[in-house]
Amino acid sequence: MTYAADVLVIGGGIIGLSCGFYLSKRGKRVFVLDSGGFADGASGACDDMILFQSKKPGINLALTFESLELYKSLLTELDDDLGFANMGGMVLIENQQELEIMEEFVAQQRSYGLDVEVIDKRAMLKKQPFLSDHIIASTYSKMDSQVDPFSVMRGFERKGGSYGMKVFRRNGVVGIDRIGTGDYQVVTEDGSIYQAPIVVNAAGTWAGQIGEMVGATIPIKPKRGQIIVTERIPQIGDTNLWSAKYLVTKLRSDVVVDLNEDERSMGLSMAITRSSGDTYLIGSTREFVGFDKNTTIAGIRAIIKQTLTYLPKLRDVNFIRAMAGLRPSTPDGRMLLGEHAGIEGFFTAAGHEGDGIALAPITGKLLASMVCRDPVDHRLDELSPNRFANP
Amino acid sequence: MTDDKDKDKDMFICRCEEVTLREIEQAIDDGFVTVKDVKRVTRAGMGLCQGRTCSKTIARIIAQRTGKPLEEILPKSFRYPVRPEKMMAVENEEFDDAKNS
Ligand SMILES: Cc1cc2nc3c(=O)[nH]c(=O)nc-3n(C[C@H](O)[C@H](O)[C@H](O)COP(=O)(O)OP(=O)(O)OC[C@H]3O[C@@H](n4cnc5c(N)ncnc54)[C@H](O)[C@@H]3O)c2cc1C
Repeated sequence: MTYAADVLVIGGGIIGLSCGFYLSKRGKRVFVLDSGGFADGASGACDDMILFQSKKPGINLALTFESLELYKSLLTELDDDLGFANMGGMVLIENQQELEIMEEFVAQQRSYGLDVEVIDKRAMLKKQPFLSDHIIASTYSKMDSQVDPFSVMRGFERKGGSYGMKVFRRNGVVGIDRIGTGDYQVVTEDGSIYQAPIVVNAAGTWAGQIGEMVGATIPIKPKRGQIIVTERIPQIGDTNLWSAKYLVTKLRSDVVVDLNEDERSMGLSMAITRSSGDTYLIGSTREFVGFDKNTTIAGIRAIIKQTLTYLPKLRDVNFIRAMAGLRPSTPDGRMLLGEHAGIEGFFTAAGHEGDGIALAPITGKLLASMVCRDPVDHRLDELSPNRFANP
Repeated sequence: MTDDKDKDKDMFICRCEEVTLREIEQAIDDGFVTVKDVKRVTRAGMGLCQGRTCSKTIARIIAQRTGKPLEEILPKSFRYPVRPEKMMAVENEEFDDAKNS
């Protein structure tokens, strides 16, 4: 069969569905093509945070602000309950060195407009009574929010569907050609052919494989993250939590941070968030193991051991599931968003690493605006996929 | 008569997450026709029992509604942990021998 559309979006994770939604809202006839089932990629095996505190002042932080605003309007625009919550977040500080680095970082973020502060142990324990005694202070920001990724994806798909967007699953893209008219011709596993003048590569971790089909260089690498899910339990504190350690290693490559074996070999750091289903999501690892998205016993064990050092009280809680997702990571920590030079009509929207849930709405909106040839937003130059074109 | 039928639709197929027959049928009609898809779209089977009770029922409903053979739809694999497990279990030596079966 041959199908024709205005835009073909390859990849139906949260990014592809957001692109499809915003494009179809602007009147484009959109097909979304995915090799897997619903949320089979990173978007179905991740935490749920719209997290501000982890970001340095710059484009990612600016876009997170904009994305949060979009999420707020999506709460009424989409028909699904998005599981939005605004519990705020705390980054846990374990020693003097971390405290100094986090104080400096928080000051930078504040001057950029983020509502965040360092609070002392007493104030910290008031919000989180069950924290281990060895934690000396924490940050606190009331801005950190969350959504349920599954509901957001369903919401984009349902509303996009009402604008004519169609999603085709379990039928991966295997080839892309250009035909006489200049249109792209995309071939899928079952031999179907899809034609359109515009292709959007939103294949997340796999975006490089789609790029190869048109001769584009896309240096996205899978960075595996494992997480566990607890049974439903009552709320154990006011906010979501992260450990400062990983952030500190990212912020200051010049200081030597004391890491244990798991933290070093698996890139382990603690994140604990209360999900909209009243369970806790606890993670996670950062591993470069190719496209292997299995969980490992060593990973699960490391996550739990680490968690119990921060919240010993969780010893008696059951965990009911473990999962792993592949974060699409880029060499400079920024996504690729835009049209490829010399490959007219071929756009990439991928490489969100650990921020794709937070950045999904703004990514879709900006991508739609680029495809519709709105006036160029020069802030986005630093996201251009062409920064990697000549390695 | 219609009343009775409507009541049937409010029956919980997944008791852990309180997902009704109506929600499951809606998901199937929207094109989500594997147990995994239905689970992710409705949360059925995401709760404490991890679908041990409702997976087969969901597969049967999908088979009925789509006319596909049941064997094609039944979920094949379970991942570790196969049942809820206490966090402190990691302190056991045997923990490392747990299998992803
Ligand atoms: C443990 C963990 C925790 C995380 N926590 C957070 C968080 O708290 N907040 C946050 O903002 N982000 C978080 N992330 C990051 C977030 O999950 C990702 O950035 C986001 O899901 C990326 O979305 P995507 O749509 O680009 O990729 P994906 O969801 O991976 O989608 C890509 C899709 O492309 C499809 N595909 C691949 N090849 C082909 C092909 N040949 N043809 C057609 N389709 C194809 C795949 O099937 C897949 O569905 C976390 C990630 C992990 C792993």
